Amino acid sequence: MKAVILAAGEGKRLRPLTVSEPKVMIPVANRPILEYVIEALVQNDLHDIVMVVGYHKERIMSHFEDGRKFGARIEYVVQDKQLGNEHALSCARERIDEDFLVLAGDNVVDAQAVGDLIRSGLCPSALVVESENPSKYGVVTIDKGTIGEIAEKPQEAMSNIILTGLYCMKRSVFDLVDQCIRSGEYGLSHALRAAISEDSVSPVFSDGLWIDAVYPWDLLELNAAALEKAHANTAGRIEKNVTMAGPVGIGEETVIRAGTTIYGPVLIGEGCEIGPNVTIFPSTSIGDSVAIEPYTTIKNSILMSNCSIAAHSYVSHCVFGYGVKGKSHLMAPGAESFVNVGDEFFKLPHIGSIVGEDTGFGTGVIVEPGTIVGSGCKVSSGAKVTRNLPNRALVT
Amino acid sequence: MCGIVGYAGRKSAQPILLDCLKRLEYRGYDSAGMAVVGDGVRVYKTKGEIAALESEMPAIEGTVGVAHTRWATQGRPTSDNAHPFDGCRNQVAVVHNGIISNFVELRDALVAGGHEFSSDTDTEVFAHLVEEELGDDELLDAVGRALKRVSGTYAFAVVSSGRDEVVGARKESPLVVGVGSGENFLASDVTALLKYTDRVIYVQDGELVRVTPDSVTIVDADGNEVEREAERVAWSLEDAEKGGYPHFMLKEIFEQPSAIHESLLGRIDAVEAESSFLNGSPFSSVKIVACGTSYNAGLVGKYLIEEFAKMPVTTQISSEYRYSAPARENPLVVLVTQSGETLDTIAAAREARRRGNRTVAIVNVVGSAITREVDHVIYTRAGPEIGVAATKTFVTQLIALYLLAIELGSQGKAITAHAKRSIISQLRNLPRAVQDVLNQADAIEALAGKYSGSRDMFFIGRNIHYPIALEGALKTKEISYIHGEGYPAGELKHGPLALLSEESPVVAVVAKDHTYEKIIGNISEVSARGSPVIAVATEDDTEIEKFADDVIYLRETSPLFSPVPAIVALQLWAYYLARARGCPIDKPRNIAKTVTVE
Repeated sequence: MKAVILAAGEGKRLRPLTVSEPKVMIPVANRPILEYVIEALVQNDLHDIVMVVGYHKERIMSHFEDGRKFGARIEYVVQDKQLGNEHALSCARERIDEDFLVLAGDNVVDAQAVGDLIRSGLCPSALVVESENPSKYGVVTIDKGTIGEIAEKPQEAMSNIILTGLYCMKRSVFDLVDQCIRSGEYGLSHALRAAISEDSVSPVFSDGLWIDAVYPWDLLELNAAALEKAHANTAGRIEKNVTMAGPVGIGEETVIRAGTTIYGPVLIGEGCEIGPNVTIFPSTSIGDSVAIEPYTTIKNSILMSNCSIAAHSYVSHCVFGYGVKGKSHLMAPGAESFVNVGDEFFKLPHIGSIVGEDTGFGTGVIVEPGTIVGSGCKVSSGAKVTRNLPNRALVT
Repeated sequence: MCGIVGYAGRKSAQPILLDCLKRLEYRGYDSAGMAVVGDGVRVYKTKGEIAALESEMPAIEGTVGVAHTRWATQGRPTSDNAHPFDGCRNQVAVVHNGIISNFVELRDALVAGGHEFSSDTDTEVFAHLVEEELGDDELLDAVGRALKRVSGTYAFAVVSSGRDEVVGARKESPLVVGVGSGENFLASDVTALLKYTDRVIYVQDGELVRVTPDSVTIVDADGNEVEREAERVAWSLEDAEKGGYPHFMLKEIFEQPSAIHESLLGRIDAVEAESSFLNGSPFSSVKIVACGTSYNAGLVGKYLIEEFAKMPVTTQISSEYRYSAPARENPLVVLVTQSGETLDTIAAAREARRRGNRTVAIVNVVGSAITREVDHVIYTRAGPEIGVAATKTFVTQLIALYLLAIELGSQGKAITAHAKRSIISQLRNLPRAVQDVLNQADAIEALAGKYSGSRDMFFIGRNIHYPIALEGALKTKEISYIHGEGYPAGELKHGPLALLSEESPVVAVVAKDHTYEKIIGNISEVSARGSPVIAVATEDDTEIEKFADDVIYLRETSPLFSPVPAIVALQLWAYYLARARGCPIDKPRNIAKTVTVE
């Protein structure tokens, strides 16, 4: 059986983190989201993958190449315009000649979730999970063991059962997909709805891991979940009086300087320089070539490669994109706050700030909880960032 | 400069040889050929690319063969001059990379002895020589005797009728053995073999090798068997694929942030270490020797070492250095070559040793020929580069030169520990400064489109950006075939100004350093002649748009480090010029990646 992975979209709601790479390549626990999807397939002995790519496709293709390094055989199909998942799926039509799996490349799934769907032996079928917050997703009702109604992001959810975007489908679904596209419908659940009217689609429940990354703060949840399972190999050089508790992974050629304390799970990439006297709290991922200077504290955050955070800084519940630079005394705390994405507002119990790649902060900058700072911004010393900033903003 | 492959196994040799040959196409592509051992030796060859050979050749059976892709150095690119060559009796077939310097005498002697020649090449004499020596003897012994009559440089692969073996020999041209199971290979380059095996044995100068489906035997020049373990190649085939980019060159340009990361990895510790490979016998100056793009990197290195180590540095082209008179000095000789197989630079390394100088090679390919000729090696760790125009290997050569300059500076106590740390932290910023340029690729493409109709283009820079102007000009002429000339900006008034007009755009690499006022003056000179000016400048330069027609902005980077993002901008510039002009970017005409001829 082949698996089709939909990985063509940008992930607009994750901006500014998708400025230079697609959503599926954003690192959680120092690996792109898409790697988890491929790994879950390979662990279930599914090696033949058709990957639909589009936005910044080179990032995906040059990372995965023909899939051999990941134990898979990957064929690529290019969706030139991002017209939604249904259109993306139709691009894969020529590569499929029997029942097949469909997965969203931007959802982290584990081998159990994929395995539960395969082992059910049911086709067409959809992997479903119970959700505490169903109205963010496609909600379904179940009627006599098959999926009854589907409602996309309903105001009032009619159940707490949601679609995960992981399906087993028959090849005939492509005809339904084409019909839907002709009638101007591009969401995948439309095709599913059409499939329901023609055939019964079985729901398959799973206790496996499934997390969707829609908004930047979802990455923190994904990161924390992935860190629980990450391998904590310790390479690099660790100086005297470094305290490490819990699983701490340290990459090649990284130096952890004296007096640093790290509470795992924490992953640190290659070629970093951490400390002396830095404190890193759990559920933090730090990419490659990151420098963190003395007396800085990092909590429950993602710092992508090439970030540097100077002395006496505090970063909590934050996602910092590639190459973010903070001079000393950067304060980026987390707290309960409202976050604005596009025209949506969210009240989150605990969130820091989201910062796009290559943004630079001067000395003593305060970034208020819940702010989304664009990429390539320059924030002068002593400034306080109290609202979202567009890309390349200058704050004096 | 050519590519050779050989196969001895149990599968059909033809498709495997074609496949391997395609991966060597970057080494040359004006003609190609193949010989497969069956009943006799069947030879097919053709002018043009390997695709032409593939389409013209019938399917032939046979599990042993050799193949060749050629870049003409001796005799025109015709199908007669393509390899392989058989002798008069169709008993042997030979492919060759290198030059047989005494081929005229050999050919005269062979013709006098009744041999008939079908080509103008030096290689053909070797086919006749082996034929003469062969008889019923072992092919390996016959090749060994034939080699004794030959002088010059070579990698050979030879097959003969009725024998399931390929015999190879190497002198100063690369040759590797690929070790498979039930099959073994010979090739000029590991990349040809990666699809089939990742275990290789490097054949050394003067050695002969025989591969059969089940054995590999290496003998030295005296006929003694040599034991050598196969090594595992860390590169995988996928590294050699295009990864969604239309050309290898663009893929390699985009790989530069991670290539820089790789080449910096582990250097923090190295910089902190007390000991240095530079300890030991003293030297008071540095001489950097290289060819082509590597020479331009070396020129940047000159400015870096002079700045960080306050030591006099000279640069010289390898083929000139070899024949220059040794001055009364004892310099550290730094040889820069991406492949490590560039013959002129290898010869220069030998010359430096002969003069008693200490030598350091900056090289990308582990285990390449030059690594055995020098005292120390600094690897650039760029990974394989397929595009003929060097990009990521150039940038990582610069990184190696920054590191060498720091090392020399701290050896000579010319920089403080604090300055050293600050340099390291600036180097760490480079991957992002490069990424910032890559993020502007669309804008650079649009800009290049505007100027792609030009016939001539000038590149100017001052100080450490002068070599960047040279390299920008080299990239432009290599792949877009636009006549590009690089000059120190101050030299324009000493001649080239006479060539400027509205039709000749000038690309100015502008640094916010002590040369700023001067280059702005140069830009004004150029504008006065009506030439459009495209400036490559840093973001903090708020004045430049008043003087230039178009500006490519780099992230604010200190002038000593901005050569790195600046050259990436010019690589993209050259790439998109070439694309707008429809040029064959990965395989420009008349040039090959590694030049193993003098």
